[in-house]
Amino acid sequence: MAKKKEVTRRQFLNYSLTGVGGFMAAGMLMPMVRFAIDPLLKEGAKQDFVPVMDTSEITDKPVRKEFKIDQVDGWYESEVTQSAWVYKDEKDEIVALSPVCKHLGCTVDWSSNPAYPDQFFCPCHAGRYTKDGVNVPGTPPLAPLDVYNKKVEDGKLYLGKPEPR
Amino acid sequence: MKWTEADIALFEKEKEYVDTVVLPLVPISMTNNMKTIVSMGEYISIISNELERQLKGRLLLLPAYTYLISEEQTFKTDRLKKIEVELHKGGIKHIITLTADVEWKQVEDQISSALLWMPAIPLEHMDEQYKMETVSAQVKQVLQFVTNTWQSNINS
Repeated sequence: MAKKKEVTRRQFLNYSLTGVGGFMAAGMLMPMVRFAIDPLLKEGAKQDFVPVMDTSEITDKPVRKEFKIDQVDGWYESEVTQSAWVYKDEKDEIVALSPVCKHLGCTVDWSSNPAYPDQFFCPCHAGRYTKDGVNVPGTPPLAPLDVYNKKVEDGKLYLGKPEPR
Repeated sequence: MKWTEADIALFEKEKEYVDTVVLPLVPISMTNNMKTIVSMGEYISIISNELERQLKGRLLLLPAYTYLISEEQTFKTDRLKKIEVELHKGGIKHIITLTADVEWKQVEDQISSALLWMPAIPLEHMDEQYKMETVSAQVKQVLQFVTNTWQSNINS
């Protein structure tokens, strides 16, 4: 009986070789798997929402809100300032537009040109957008302003990434 | 637009829309008053970067024009004039030079660029929020200056 339970030298070597081999295989495979699923892991981190303002402050007049996000650019990690034009439309829904002009990327301003009140105006090449962010035909921009991903939680407005329409 | 490959590619494609260059004038010294000299350069680079962010589509931010604080003014001015000639050759209509060094004020009439001098504000001990407000208030006025330069050109 006692003999049957004893581990022979051959068995012992087999077990330990499998064990060590297993560790080595795991050591090789783990980084490979990590590399393979890395894009998935990253995506989650990028979708971060940033609190911008209280929803009670939002009126039908667009206001410019600045907020900071972390941006990784190659090896250079930095905090960048982003802005959004926030207002409520006729259906009382919150709208957050990116102020980056679709022409060449200047920052547009709300009704800054006396000739065109109630429009977004780009100081660089006089591009114009109506209040809902749609470009006015005949001005340089060829697409409407980007819209921020947004959510409301506990009376606060959170903004994510701007998406083109 | 910045002085990077990606932005320059865009610049070459959209050349007709980009007619302005921003050139920060930054002094260098390793021997005396280093901190003051550095704060001038730092402040100007913060302002010019922010300016570039707001008016990306029409202006090109050049790498800073650096000079020794001990360098003779005529020499610095001549060198700047050569840069101006080169930029105009490249189709640039407006050159805006930003500096915190008051010396440039004296040679303002000799250069063709629009010189904007502003005293450097020491940002070192300010907290983040206050720093942002100070800089954005300054930038707002610089923006005004730049858009006025564009407008006066349309009228003339």
